[in-house]
Amino acid sequence: MTQDMLVDLIVKAILEVQAAEIATPAALEHTPPASKSEVTSARIGVGRAGTRLRTDTYLQFRADHAAARDAVYNDVPAELLQQLNLPEFVTQCKSRDEFLTRPDLGRVFSEQTAKAIAAHNPQPCDVLIYAADGLSSKAIAANLENILPVLTESISQQGLRCGKPFFVKYGRVASMEQVAQLTGAKVICVLIGERPGLGSAESMSAYMAYAPTVGMPEARRTVVSNIYSGGLNAVEAGAYVAEVLGRMHREKKSGVELNEA
Amino acid sequence: MANNLLSVGIDIGTSTTQVIFSTLTLEDLGGRFTAPNIAITKKEVIYRGAIHETPLLTHSLIDTQALCVLVESEFAQAGLAVGATDTGAVIITGESARRENAAAVLQHLSGFAGDFVVATAGPDLESRIAGQGSGAQAYAQENAAHVVNFDIGGGTTNVAVFDCDKLTATACYDIGGRLLKFTPQGQLIYISEHAEKIVQAIGLHLRVGDTPSLADLRALAQAMAQQLERNTNDLLTPNSTLLFSGGVADCIYRTGHEVFAYNDFGVLLGQAVRNSRLFGYRVLAPQETIRATVMGAGSYTTTLSGSTIGYTHADLFPLKNLPVFALSPQQEQEAFDHGKADDFAQALCDFVQQTDATCVAIAFAGKPSPGWQELKRFAQALHQAASQAQLDADVPWVFLAQHDIGKALGLAMTPHAQERAVITLDGIDARQPDCYLDIGKPLMNGQVLPVVIKTLLFG
Repeated sequence: MTQDMLVDLIVKAILEVQAAEIATPAALEHTPPASKSEVTSARIGVGRAGTRLRTDTYLQFRADHAAARDAVYNDVPAELLQQLNLPEFVTQCKSRDEFLTRPDLGRVFSEQTAKAIAAHNPQPCDVLIYAADGLSSKAIAANLENILPVLTESISQQGLRCGKPFFVKYGRVASMEQVAQLTGAKVICVLIGERPGLGSAESMSAYMAYAPTVGMPEARRTVVSNIYSGGLNAVEAGAYVAEVLGRMHREKKSGVELNEA
Repeated sequence: MANNLLSVGIDIGTSTTQVIFSTLTLEDLGGRFTAPNIAITKKEVIYRGAIHETPLLTHSLIDTQALCVLVESEFAQAGLAVGATDTGAVIITGESARRENAAAVLQHLSGFAGDFVVATAGPDLESRIAGQGSGAQAYAQENAAHVVNFDIGGGTTNVAVFDCDKLTATACYDIGGRLLKFTPQGQLIYISEHAEKIVQAIGLHLRVGDTPSLADLRALAQAMAQQLERNTNDLLTPNSTLLFSGGVADCIYRTGHEVFAYNDFGVLLGQAVRNSRLFGYRVLAPQETIRATVMGAGSYTTTLSGSTIGYTHADLFPLKNLPVFALSPQQEQEAFDHGKADDFAQALCDFVQQTDATCVAIAFAGKPSPGWQELKRFAQALHQAASQAQLDADVPWVFLAQHDIGKALGLAMTPHAQERAVITLDGIDARQPDCYLDIGKPLMNGQVLPVVIKTLLFG
């Protein structure tokens, strides 16, 4: 469960409790102390008007929900991909709806696309980093520009060969298995938009694995989540993820095995 | 992998000297799916020493020899070898900090107690750690409350204000239980300069050798309590919660002491505080009274850096007594925007010469979520300034950011640093005047460094 999902659950529970309370006249306009709200972005202690949310709380809730929906349904801006010089490869999903309803298709590429991916990185490399929209295009738009150069520079500084990055549309985490197969990269890192919550729609994850193969257990993946301006910022995340990638390459393992080392 | 640190706290106060030992437990709160987030999650006191009189040679000289014997005996009592501690602090507080040999005593004790035990002094720090040791900070944090801690000791009263998790103000006043000393029969044998001033101000006549009337002494105690009220008026809000710690606190919360039970003014002062307007606020009992400061010294002086940081060599530590050079917000902005250090490079050179230090730390806020290009410009500016400062080639460059940019900044510095060791820490706000820094050996597989921010002011 991501942090945002947890927050959603808590919000829901609180709303229920608040709705169940019977308002007394003194509690009609209850405003919490300002300092409390600085502790967390979760919607706790937001006060109430009678048995309902205060208007500004309600509007904020609607706005955040709308932002979350937009993050799922919009595309990553083409200008960003152009600016970063990233070619776009599409999985076997033909539409956003298909992407959302058929997770299996978000992991695989058509024969033609597979050839293009292989041609994009003809030489096997040590580390291959690519981005995928996943469930939040906004996360990619917000973070990619800052994390990608940090990653590639740091990988090179470590004396490793970094593959040419690209972008996968309608991509899921497990697309890394086929990408590894096609390119022969030893370590794969996919930067992917996280399922948006009501806290932020800009949160991105870096999923990594050493020599992933189709059908491998999920335990072989390593993830660094919560990458966004309100969590771990993109450049710091880049520096940290690059270090983890270097360790994976050195120790030839990933996921739970890497943690246990 | 060290998950526990053994910490010692030694407090040399105006009237008492105390030693405690505690273990600090380190844990990664980040979980498996995020970057590490290592924090001190538990502070457990494993030994509380006795409360000793601070040994003095004369009124203005501390008896270093006796003090060492005393501290050594506490180590023995606790069953620990001298030097077995990983971290900790020796703090010299109240009037003791003003005694002639205070600095020498501190240095001597810190060296003797362990590799990474820091010597420290200064009223700000004293107020803060007393408020932490008394439990005021924890209460403020847990209850999102505005809490004011009054640590009333022998020579001084240290006030710390916590608003939720933040320390918002500190203050120190010359009010304490040992400003006057008596024989058990009530004959005055000592009165401090400051108490003398108050005596004159309220028109009393007290002379050493006299046996003053209880009414006069009560009037004096009341005047002191009122002074405390007036001085702290601006720090308090109607919703403030007050805690009292320090030796006098025992006489505030509990009544029924003999007036001269401790041969001093503490009982009377305690009663006067209890009857003052300060008790019109919400008052809670602290976790610690007389031991608040030593608890703070032992358990709260060591902090951790952020968990994603950079350092090029692991054998640099511990680094001790680094003076901190802080960038102003404008200087920082200029460096981020244009990659230039023109307006602080010279100031840094002057600072290095003034402090006569071989190694200095450069502190700044950084940005919560910087762009990579601007961070590279910032690194270039830092490189320019650090190069101009002409530190010896084997001295590391030390950078301290408040925001979480340590590891990325380290990466951005790499092309500039070449052979030189570079340390880029985050999660530390050291931008305060006259501040020094100690950095200990890496912990938790090298992911974090223990850091102590301190002042070394003697007033």
